[in-house]
Amino acid sequence: MDILQNVVNWLLSLGAAVFVPIIIIFAGLLVRMKVKDAISAGITLGVAFTGMSMLISFMTGAISPAAEAMLESTGISLPIVDGGWTTLSTISWSWPYAFLMFPLLIVVNIIMIVLKKTETFNADLWNVWGKIFTAVCVVAITDSVPLAFVVATIQIIFELKTADVHSHRIEELSGIPGVTCTHKMVFFGAILYPFDLLLRKIPAFNKDFDAEALKEKVGIFAENHVLGFILGCVFGIMAKWSPAEILTLGVQAATALTLFPVISKYFMQALSPISEAVSDFMNKRFEGRSLIVGLDWPFLGGSNEIWLAVIWSVPVTLLMSMILPGNEILPFAGIINIALAVPAYLVTKGNLPRMLILCTIGVPCFLWIGTAFAPFITDLANATGAVDLAAGQMISNSSIDGPVFTYGISQVFDVVNGNFIPVVVLVAWLAGYTMYYRELRREAKNAKEVAAAERA
Amino acid sequence: MKKIIVACGSGVATSQTVASKVNRLLKENKVDAKVEAVDLKSVDRHLTDAVAYIAITKTNKEYPIPVINGIAFLTGMKQKEELQRLIDAVNNG
Repeated sequence: MDILQNVVNWLLSLGAAVFVPIIIIFAGLLVRMKVKDAISAGITLGVAFTGMSMLISFMTGAISPAAEAMLESTGISLPIVDGGWTTLSTISWSWPYAFLMFPLLIVVNIIMIVLKKTETFNADLWNVWGKIFTAVCVVAITDSVPLAFVVATIQIIFELKTADVHSHRIEELSGIPGVTCTHKMVFFGAILYPFDLLLRKIPAFNKDFDAEALKEKVGIFAENHVLGFILGCVFGIMAKWSPAEILTLGVQAATALTLFPVISKYFMQALSPISEAVSDFMNKRFEGRSLIVGLDWPFLGGSNEIWLAVIWSVPVTLLMSMILPGNEILPFAGIINIALAVPAYLVTKGNLPRMLILCTIGVPCFLWIGTAFAPFITDLANATGAVDLAAGQMISNSSIDGPVFTYGISQVFDVVNGNFIPVVVLVAWLAGYTMYYRELRREAKNAKEVAAAERA
Repeated sequence: MKKIIVACGSGVATSQTVASKVNRLLKENKVDAKVEAVDLKSVDRHLTDAVAYIAITKTNKEYPIPVINGIAFLTGMKQKEELQRLIDAVNNG
């Protein structure tokens, strides 16, 4: 037993870029991949980790001097670097128990389907990392791995129930039948919904917009290289640097934002044989039963309103980060905030004026929770060696998916240390969620009755 | 080798899932083409030298190349039909 323990400890000490690939090679063989394909997937995953670590070092190296100079020239202190979701997923995958989340997700989903508690089959195995992240947060507070998996199970159940109840509205909005969204970003609708109820009373917002024409005009600002360049230049200008330094930072920032997705893709490539094997298994298991398939959000990405809300949120987030009390993140890699725009889209059914107001109201939640998570994300990055940070450098994400839920449910155990804030946050979220859930359920039921009446 | 484009929000997760799966299916069917996953925000730039576009979103825009339903590869429903349409597009492209 001691020898096994020693071997495991030795493997972990090698860092995420070595031990996670070893795990995926075993996992690959377990789902009957060919040996050479499994090894190829393992090495690809090592490349993904190392590439990501390199890129995050490059990004923090470029941005933090500007943030420091900004502090001197303007007095605004934003020391936390924003690594976006790609950084969080890298750190999540480097948790030694990460891969156990696959079987947990499948087992919980199967049990829920068999008990007829859900009609959704979650085919989005990529976002398993969102469950892993919550679990890792729980471990950071409680030191208990079993408890982490219990909380992750609660999240999986909430995701399925939320996907069930959204399926009607999502079909109406996307025009694609038989699919729904199982991503936890949708949870943020619980916070936006009460505000939307107020906004709905203002008739001026119910105008139709030509979102497509507007998106054609401003869409270029959301392209990674263009947005990165603009952000880098803004940071340089605020730091009162010379034109040469400003332009250099602009190009460096553009490089970072352009390369993030390129490298993240390797994670996906390495993991796809496993996720394919799982979905094939599930498809066979439930053949003949009509299930709704739960997907990641991009099938909604045809909506111009979402992109306009994303673009709108960029300057709002940047401005708010400078003036919001309690914020310490300098928004950068997470500034394309899909996790804000998609719930706003679903809550308002694509009403652009209300979406823009809701996005503005929602930004502080993301900044505060990103700030609150920074010390622990930084610790974890250093502990697993998934990300290489300079001493004292803090990292986080300015667009954590479902921030209020994630914060509430993962930090709720901090109550034993006398911290009641997460409990209050969780209760507030649950209240909003219940209201929103009821509206969605009512809407789906009415639509069913109308359809039945038309048939009769 | 002919190029096929699939796009999603970040060009990372959903699009890469479809790309990996379709690449495997094309290989099994001995079709000489490669699927590339790109960012939805800059998809038009990538379509210029592609023979088909696998869309994950519902699109009303007209494209000069065949548009394949990408959701089929995620859900498994009508996957065979869409794969055949894609293979035809490659052979005619």
